[in-house]
Amino acid sequence: MSQDPENKPPLFRSWNAWYILVLGTLLLLIIVFYLLTKRFA
Amino acid sequence: MSQLDWIVLVITLTGIIAYGLYKGRSSHNLDGYFLSDRSLPWGLILLSIMGTQASAITFLSAPGQAYTDGMRFVQYYFGIPIAMVVISIFFVPIYYRMKVYTAYQYLEERFDGKTRTLTSLLFLLSRGLSTGISVFAPSIILSSLFGWDIYWTNIFMGGLLIIYTMSGGAKAVAYTQRFQLVIIFTGMFLAAYMVIRFLPAGVGFTDALQIGGKLQRFNVITSGFTKTGFNWSDQYNLLSGIIGGFFLALSYFGTDQSQVGRYLTASSIRESRMGLLMNGLVKIPMQFAILLIGVLVFSFYQFNKAPIFFNQVQLNKLENSNYRDSLHQVNAQYDALYITKKRTVTEFTEALHRKDEAMIDQKTAELQTLQDSSEVLRGKVVHWLNKNIPNGDGNDTNYIFLSFVVEYLPKGLVGLLIAIIFLASWGSIAAALNSLASCTMVDFHRRITSKKETGEQEYRLSKWYTLAWGLFCIVVAMFTYDLGKSLIETVNVLGSLFYGVILGIFLVAFFLKNIRNGSVVFWAAILAELLVLTVFIFTKTGVFKLGFLWLNPIGALGVVLFSWILSKVSSRYVDRLISK
Repeated sequence: MSQDPENKPPLFRSWNAWYILVLGTLLLLIIVFYLLTKRFA
Repeated sequence: MSQLDWIVLVITLTGIIAYGLYKGRSSHNLDGYFLSDRSLPWGLILLSIMGTQASAITFLSAPGQAYTDGMRFVQYYFGIPIAMVVISIFFVPIYYRMKVYTAYQYLEERFDGKTRTLTSLLFLLSRGLSTGISVFAPSIILSSLFGWDIYWTNIFMGGLLIIYTMSGGAKAVAYTQRFQLVIIFTGMFLAAYMVIRFLPAGVGFTDALQIGGKLQRFNVITSGFTKTGFNWSDQYNLLSGIIGGFFLALSYFGTDQSQVGRYLTASSIRESRMGLLMNGLVKIPMQFAILLIGVLVFSFYQFNKAPIFFNQVQLNKLENSNYRDSLHQVNAQYDALYITKKRTVTEFTEALHRKDEAMIDQKTAELQTLQDSSEVLRGKVVHWLNKNIPNGDGNDTNYIFLSFVVEYLPKGLVGLLIAIIFLASWGSIAAALNSLASCTMVDFHRRITSKKETGEQEYRLSKWYTLAWGLFCIVVAMFTYDLGKSLIETVNVLGSLFYGVILGIFLVAFFLKNIRNGSVVFWAAILAELLVLTVFIFTKTGVFKLGFLWLNPIGALGVVLFSWILSKVSSRYVDRLISK
């Protein structure tokens, strides 16, 4: 992974934090969708 | 369409073309034409990636899909966030380090010229044909609904965008996609708002969701498991969405030039990555919202009479056949069911408001029985169209949302929604033309021609290639109409047949560093393609059942496995030769 200052990520210190955010959001969405399915089905 | 609708449609479309021509000015060389001088910020990259993936069918088909099958289609997108992370880590830095114009350039550096040629050729073949279908698919819907001539609709759908795509290249594509998406989201939001407004007095948003939920339209998460085990032929469930969807998304976003060409226009690796990762964050909620419109339309049609089949052209075929009397009988039964259903759903919402659990359960059971009966009647019409009517098409998914728009939305908004169909098509077709031209120019023309051309000459030639591919896609669209729906089905599966293999070649390139022999990968790709085709033929002939998403992992892992085996065999053979 490039540590070039120009390629540093916005908001977080490292790109790993962004990757965790994206995958964590996916997990959260699946849980929310599951609960919605249970709630309305 | 009313005069106001026509005015809205014409102003929106000419506005987009003018905007594309104005914004598309760039340097007169390949960097400017295909890569926007590598200058775009991540926000524009994100919208360009989204605009390329979302075609007209995305906005027409998704609400119809939720109407007929529920919201489980959203699981198809679950692989995207994982793929965005993998591409950001492994693919983007390599493409940037090598300063490529096309993804396939990298393969020559890594393996050899023939592997690059094979992969680029597979891309040109599948993308060229599928873009022709992208022109035809929305055209036939508009043509059926409004009685427009299909040939002229094809020419407007596939022809007008060539003006700004040819003139401005990748920059015009990206800037128009931004504008297009703003209009598309505004229109879809207004449509959703109108559906809720049209619900009867006292029936709100959550009531509509309850109705949809009780009638199996809010099935967002499904396991794919039945009493007998996992259903491999089930297209949309959690497992196929995450695994199959991941391989499909990895191939599409990581190796399909129509997408790679979007994020190569970014000003840095950082901007590319941000565009991709933000796509991973927003794509699923966006698709969920579009599907939700379908659930709302479904609930709306519990209080308002829905046609038994939404494609009127197909219904007319039945009217003019031996099934005329049977159709009238089924329609009469369907109408009678609707009256009972409307009364029951009204009682159901009243029970919901009173929180009368016993009555809710009773009315839910009644509603489900009525819905099952409606679907049996609808199923008869579908069966007649599929089996007994020449050239009949029993799938009306793409017509459901647009029928609602034309029937119920106010003047002006109908024009805007029709404009959205054009804009969504243009966004994906423009990106495809740009990528087809870049592959033709960089992967073939530059390597074949012996003449050294200047940047200006290459720029001019690239414009002609864009025009040529635009015309090719319109011709494909015209032939699609003549050859009927069998070709559409064939070309629709084309992507799944090739995507896995293309991805497999890139996976070997990125992760199996000890394999350097291009011939090994080339033959592994041929073998994997044969494997995918065999599996596909077996599923088509009923030897076994398998959802099409699984063809992607089979193709990708097939290339990896065959490459590994062939490399072992070839190295032993070389060792033996050396020892002799």
